[in-house]
Amino acid sequence: MEFDKIIHEPARLRIMMILNGLEQADFNFLLTTLNLTRGNLSRHVEKLESAGYLSVKKSFSGKIPNTSYQLTQKGSKALAQYWENLDAVRNGPIQPLTK
Amino acid sequence: MNTPQNQVPQDTEKLKEIPKWTRRYAQNRTLTNLANMVILTLVAMVIGASSYLGGLAFVRGNMILVWVCMGVLFGSLICLFIVSVPKFGGIKIWRWTDRRIYGQEGITAIPEPELMKKKKWLGYVVGMVFMICVMGTVFLGFKGYFAIKYMQPVSALYVVPFLVFLYFWQRPKVGPLMLLWPILYTIHAILIVAGAPILFTGNLTGFNMFLPTFGYGFLTFTIGHFYSRYALKKLKDIAHLDGGSPSGV
Repeated sequence: MEFDKIIHEPARLRIMMILNGLEQADFNFLLTTLNLTRGNLSRHVEKLESAGYLSVKKSFSGKIPNTSYQLTQKGSKALAQYWENLDAVRNGPIQPLTK
Repeated sequence: MNTPQNQVPQDTEKLKEIPKWTRRYAQNRTLTNLANMVILTLVAMVIGASSYLGGLAFVRGNMILVWVCMGVLFGSLICLFIVSVPKFGGIKIWRWTDRRIYGQEGITAIPEPELMKKKKWLGYVVGMVFMICVMGTVFLGFKGYFAIKYMQPVSALYVVPFLVFLYFWQRPKVGPLMLLWPILYTIHAILIVAGAPILFTGNLTGFNMFLPTFGYGFLTFTIGHFYSRYALKKLKDIAHLDGGSPSGV
C-alpha cells in the first residue's frame, strides 16, 4: 500500500486538514497557523492546486489583494482515502513497501 | 526494514484533531458579533432617546427640537435597517469589523448552513415575529397588563426560542457556546419569578431588561472570544512546523 505522496508531506497534510475544517481560509491564516515562510507555503499550495486538491480564489479587500483556498471535492476524497490507508497500515500487520 | 508503518506520522491522532480545532476557532471569533451588538445597541439607544426627547419637546412646544429629534430618529431608523439586514449592508459591516478585529490572524469561512441557503425567507419571518413580540410586550407592559418587573420573564418566552433558533439557523457557523446566552436568560427569568433579589428599582429599572439582553450577550461573546484564543493555541500546537518545512517540491 502506498500513501498519496502529495498529501503525505507534513506541511501539505496540515494545509489539507485545516481546510477540511473550513469552507475556506486565506494565505495569511495558513501562514500564521503553520509557521511556514511565504515561499514555502506558496510552493506547497501550488503543488496541491496542481493536483486538483485545492481551488484558489483571488479577491480584493479594499485595495489589498487576498488569496483564499478551498478544498475541492477531489481533495476531500483524496484526504479521506489517505487517512483510510494510514489507519489500515497502522492497524494492520507489518509489511514491506510495495513498489 | 522499510515498511509502510515506518512512514506513518508519529502524531497521527493529534493531526486528526486539526479540523476540529480549526472549526472551533473560526466559530468563536465572536468579538465581531460583540462589536455589531454594541453598534445595534447604540442605534437602539439613539432611537429611544430621540423619541423620548422629541415627545418632551412636543409637550413643551419646542418645535425646532421636535424636528431635530424627528431627523435623528429617521436617520437612526435607516441605520438600524442597514445594520440589521444583511442584504442592505449588514454583511458588509460584519466583514469590515471582522477584518479589523481578526485580520492579523487571517480570514476563515465556515460553510453556510443548508437551511439558511435554501430558506432565507425563514430568517426574515422569524425576525419579524420577534420584533412584533418585542413591541407587543412593551405595549402590554406599559398598558399595565403585567408588572414591569415581569417584563424580562415574559420576554424570555420569545427571546429564548429566538436565540435558540438563531443558533440552529446559523450552525455550523456558530458553536454551541452561543447557547449560553439563552441559558443565562432563562435562569435570570426563573430567578425573578422565584422572587430572587436581582431586580433593579427606581431609575435603574431599565437594567432589568438591559442586563439580560446586552449583559449576557456581552458575556457570551467575550467567553466565545477567549475560547477562540484557546482553540487557536491548540491548533498551532498541533499544526506548527518548526522553522518551516522543505520547499515542498
